[in-house]
Amino acid sequence: MRIQTNHRWLLFVLRNISLLLFVFIFVAFSLFNERFASLRNFENIILASADVGIVAIGMTFVLLTGGIDLSVGATMYITGAIVALMLEDGWGVAAAIPCGILAGTLWGCFNALLISRVRIIPFMVTLGTLTAGRGLGLLITESRHISVPNEMRFGAVRVFDLVPIPVLVFALMVLVAVVILKYTPFGRQIYAMGNDVEAAKKAGLDTTRLTAAVYIISGFCAAVASVISISQVGSVSASFGRGIEFQAIAASVLGGTSLFGGVGNVFPGTVIGILLIQMIQNGLIFMRVDLYLQEMVKALVILFAVFVDAQRMGLIKRLERRNIRLEKRIARPAEAKKLEWTAWQ
Amino acid sequence: MKPLVRIFSVLLVFAFLMAACTPATQPADSGKKQYTICFAFQDLETEFWMAGHKAITETLKARGYKVVEVNSQEDANKQLEQVKNCIAQKVDGIIVIPVDGSIALKLIAEANKAGIPIGIFNRPPQSDEGNALTVVANNEKIAEATVEYMAQEAKKLGRKVKPLIMVGDLGDPNAVGRKQGFYNVINKYPDLFETPVEVATKWNADVARDGLQAAMTANPDIDFIFTSSDFLYPTIQGVLEPLGKWKKIGEEGHVIMGGLDGDKTACSLMQPGNAYVDATGVQDLYFEAQTLLDAIVKAIEAGEKQPDAWLDDPGFALTQGNMATKEMDMWGCKLFHGK
Repeated sequence: MRIQTNHRWLLFVLRNISLLLFVFIFVAFSLFNERFASLRNFENIILASADVGIVAIGMTFVLLTGGIDLSVGATMYITGAIVALMLEDGWGVAAAIPCGILAGTLWGCFNALLISRVRIIPFMVTLGTLTAGRGLGLLITESRHISVPNEMRFGAVRVFDLVPIPVLVFALMVLVAVVILKYTPFGRQIYAMGNDVEAAKKAGLDTTRLTAAVYIISGFCAAVASVISISQVGSVSASFGRGIEFQAIAASVLGGTSLFGGVGNVFPGTVIGILLIQMIQNGLIFMRVDLYLQEMVKALVILFAVFVDAQRMGLIKRLERRNIRLEKRIARPAEAKKLEWTAWQ
Repeated sequence: MKPLVRIFSVLLVFAFLMAACTPATQPADSGKKQYTICFAFQDLETEFWMAGHKAITETLKARGYKVVEVNSQEDANKQLEQVKNCIAQKVDGIIVIPVDGSIALKLIAEANKAGIPIGIFNRPPQSDEGNALTVVANNEKIAEATVEYMAQEAKKLGRKVKPLIMVGDLGDPNAVGRKQGFYNVINKYPDLFETPVEVATKWNADVARDGLQAAMTANPDIDFIFTSSDFLYPTIQGVLEPLGKWKKIGEEGHVIMGGLDGDKTACSLMQPGNAYVDATGVQDLYFEAQTLLDAIVKAIEAGEKQPDAWLDDPGFALTQGNMATKEMDMWGCKLFHGK
């Protein structure tokens, strides 16, 4: 075991590489423009992360079970369409928001039903509900761009003159997700199922119920994110929520969540992931990178981060692997190090 | 036996659904041939597209034409398939709001091959290959006229200003034309303008908000904003208001502001006593719709297979200086005043 402790620092670095990458990119952008490191800009990054971040929380639950939810953007659009149409019809915010969130959650229930009961694979189900959901949104809005009244534009309102509402909601959602995943049997069961579904079944876990629950949670999170997004943007159009599924998946994976399930967390993992993506986007504007290049640069940085993350997972596994033969050679540390280095290659 | 019953039930339901989808009534035979026009559009993202869609469909129906509407939801491949499908249905004419300039060329080629007249509304093809009736606003000139007025207002400040442009989707020739018009004026007055800040919007309010917020933090001295589409004004307000920069014209700290489209929101923000916007470029929507419809109907009735014409909408800039005389020429103001 001593060989492993010799690399305690390396393991520490590898385990926290997302955070270190975040700090590195933050410092790099700050060197280009001093205002980048300002409190106001940090607030901008968190504000921009709020809606995508909430979607990513739900996505993390789904990914932890080894599933995927491609329909979150459509769920956002359905929720947004219902909220905007109700407001347009003269309903108050207090009625429109719960109805919208209920509709989004029901869309999640529809996914849950098809995946857990009908046993269709999540990729196909959510791809289908992505298309159907957008179609439904277009149908009920007649593809219109709908502006919402001022009382719905609460995205800039600060609670106690301090925290903007979107940031507060995001923080609360993170807190609840962390508590569920870390401190409840339900959370532990999600990890167990994601690690090995057959073993989880043998251990007596109700995997059907667990699967259904994560898709309902994902639908609920997308619906809440939709309300937050409308409060910031002030309108709903046909492009509302489009492409957000990829940002949410990228954020979760960047934060260390495995696409195969069983590994990952919402905090710091997913939160760091989404902040990292938004920070890159924000930083490119500060650096005034050509608009034609921005998307490419952003994609390359994210790919690099995912590549580094993938490498570190392999390295951590190798470093943590017990090796009896190496343990026997503790008396000769120089040779042990050499052998271990060979084992990494 | 059970599977057979199941299959039969499914087929029965399917048949009912198909029956429900067919038009309830067939047009009465008045002795004159009823022409069918395929109208392929993308999502109605903004008030401009909504009003354009309404103007085209209602005018065609009023003239006794049958209209087949297809929505591509901003998917270029889907639009191509939809137009091919219309051609297979042997429609008499096609009107398209193309997703982008390059798909417009493919649609024109398909229509030309089938010998069906095609009209392109407001979004020009990338080149002049093929034969089509294309009605399009001169985005560069309209943007230039708008930004020119804004520049004259900026000159009154007696100092250099920091401009920002919210750029549309760079795959859209309209967005590129508007950007060019903006830069024509910026480059004309090098002593008036600092280097402009560019913010990508991709015609998406969410993207625009994040970009504008970052740009305003990086450059808090921005005092001149041109948005490539009027539909982004609520987003701009959402960003500027918390910064204390959403000020009416004449108030201390007013950001000189202009856009392009001429929609209802822009009109409401230009009203006397509540004016935040200095100028907006106007695409003459009703002129464009009417001109295209007249041309395509004429071609269909004359039996022309490949009519080819470029129909220019010169547009204009509605400014605080000409509001009194030109306001009701803007389609958004007609909607705003309920006319």
